[in-house]
Amino acid sequence: MAKTTDVMTTAYGEALLEVGAAHPNVVVLDADLADSCRTEAFRAAFPGRAFDLGVAEQSLPTFAAGLALAGKIPFCNTFAVFAVGRGLDQIRQSVAYARTNVKIVGHAAGLSLGYAGPSHHATEDLGAARALPNLVILSPADAVETRAMVRWMAEYEGPVYLRLTRADVPPIHADDYGFALGRTECVREGDDVSVFVTGALVRLALELRDELQPEGIDVQVVNVATLKPLPAQEIARHAQRTRAGVTIEEHNIIGGLGSAVAEAYAECVCKPLRRVGLADTFTESDDRPVLLSAYGVSVEAAARAVRAAIAASDEPRG
Amino acid sequence: MEVAVKDRRHIRSLPRKTPLDPHVHAAALRDLQLAAVTMRRMLLYMGHRNRITLHYSALMSMTELVTLLYTHWLSLRPGEPHWPERDRFVLSKGHGAPGLYAALAMTGVIDERHLDGFRRLHSILQGHPDRLKTPGVEANSGSLGQGFAVACGMALAAKMDVAPWRVYCLLSDGECNEGSVWEAAQIAANLHLDRISVLVDRNGKSSYGWMAGRNDVEPLAEKWRAFNWAVEECDGHDFVSITHALARADAAGRPAALICRTVKGKGLPYFETVNTRAHVLLSDAEYAECMRCLDTLEREIADGENH
Repeated sequence: MAKTTDVMTTAYGEALLEVGAAHPNVVVLDADLADSCRTEAFRAAFPGRAFDLGVAEQSLPTFAAGLALAGKIPFCNTFAVFAVGRGLDQIRQSVAYARTNVKIVGHAAGLSLGYAGPSHHATEDLGAARALPNLVILSPADAVETRAMVRWMAEYEGPVYLRLTRADVPPIHADDYGFALGRTECVREGDDVSVFVTGALVRLALELRDELQPEGIDVQVVNVATLKPLPAQEIARHAQRTRAGVTIEEHNIIGGLGSAVAEAYAECVCKPLRRVGLADTFTESDDRPVLLSAYGVSVEAAARAVRAAIAASDEPRG
Repeated sequence: MEVAVKDRRHIRSLPRKTPLDPHVHAAALRDLQLAAVTMRRMLLYMGHRNRITLHYSALMSMTELVTLLYTHWLSLRPGEPHWPERDRFVLSKGHGAPGLYAALAMTGVIDERHLDGFRRLHSILQGHPDRLKTPGVEANSGSLGQGFAVACGMALAAKMDVAPWRVYCLLSDGECNEGSVWEAAQIAANLHLDRISVLVDRNGKSSYGWMAGRNDVEPLAEKWRAFNWAVEECDGHDFVSITHALARADAAGRPAALICRTVKGKGLPYFETVNTRAHVLLSDAEYAECMRCLDTLEREIADGENH
């Protein structure tokens, strides 16, 4: 399988090695997917601090909780669909409720494992994770942000879910980008519509902005890399300066970024909002880009959502 | 309620983790038996005082195990619950929380007055163990089987650090129905975890009643052996038997399971015979009757001392 385009997982593996050197308490747990999760460099460098539990995803959060309770900083690695799905009760009881210093890394999230089909597509992990108190949820947009988040996670004392997508996205951040928890990032300012986006799809939102420019629609692109704690005040502030909002995510529109932003809109903004993502459906097998288009996570679909949101707005065009 | 064990000098004079001999340690054994009666009183009191239903039967079956661990076996500093070199005890059968709280009160880790507010708003004693609320609680449990897997993770840390401490975990036989228990057991053996002893409270009943013919776990000892654990068996109400099994388990050099044969409801005739959930609210009369049973038991133990 070609992995050369998997820039975020590659960055994750490099960053893990780096924090492993900086923090002797960092421990890596795998569930028979060390190659896919790029933990092999860490495993080679720190063999006494990396453990493969085998095909046993429920044991990742619990063994990690035990390690954390004895002072270790465990990073658990498996595909996102299993990291949260198989381990949900363990994450709830032994990680979130017990507030243990466990880092859950959900690899190949969204439709990353396109050909494997819906059994392997993580399309509700954010919804499940977002309902858990105490859990920080991060979703990086590129390799630079991934590295910054891994460094931050090793320093932060508490449970974190990091959601990684396998995607060939060029960096949108400069190398000296520093991640700050609970902040949004206005990647491009614009006056008409705020597009809130997370993960590898930030790139898609930038294309959307270019696409709509000739129509005279000025799109503001906001990267929401912290899904929890949700920066609701910042979202409201971005929303106030535009007439309408659109969310874009590689996830069911129920429970993820779309729901989170809609909650902020309902409580603080009261302007039209449209959600782009999987319309509460399971998916099929094919390549990720094909699936994204087929299931309405595309520049074209997002453009339609933007036009609809503007049409629903009663504010005069700015 | 007087919960502190009045006189435990014979237990205190024993070096920790000594296998007991009925002749050499007769006085300490009587102390332990009296401590177990005291714990049963505390358990009844917690439920009755707070007017709540409790799993009394499941609490009575684990009483000797927890009493022994906290008064004699675990290496702990009661005034210093975060002492790095302490042994870790994880109550995987989280519904046995009152037993853990009674042990913590008996050994002075928490003040016994907290028992009065058990399971009430703002109490430090939650329905199931909560490490952030209760000093001395090492892990959260209540979702069955999970405490055991967390205990295995602790044992992995102990092995990595070549630590002087051990992990002891109390697991119910009903929890052995959980698939995640066997997942963790397999991993513990694969990782050669040599610092964990799991005590299986083999009382033969889960919440809904007898397990035989329904949700059976037999052959249980063979299962643990097949998962590459060292297996010891003991009478879970006999301190001599428990201490010998614990000593062998501690020296096993690999993960060790103790199958502790116990009686659900032990010490209280009503609970010993009932085959239901036994998750009950005690009336004043029933509470008084249970306490009278314990009075008799206490006199018998004391009489043994006088003869």
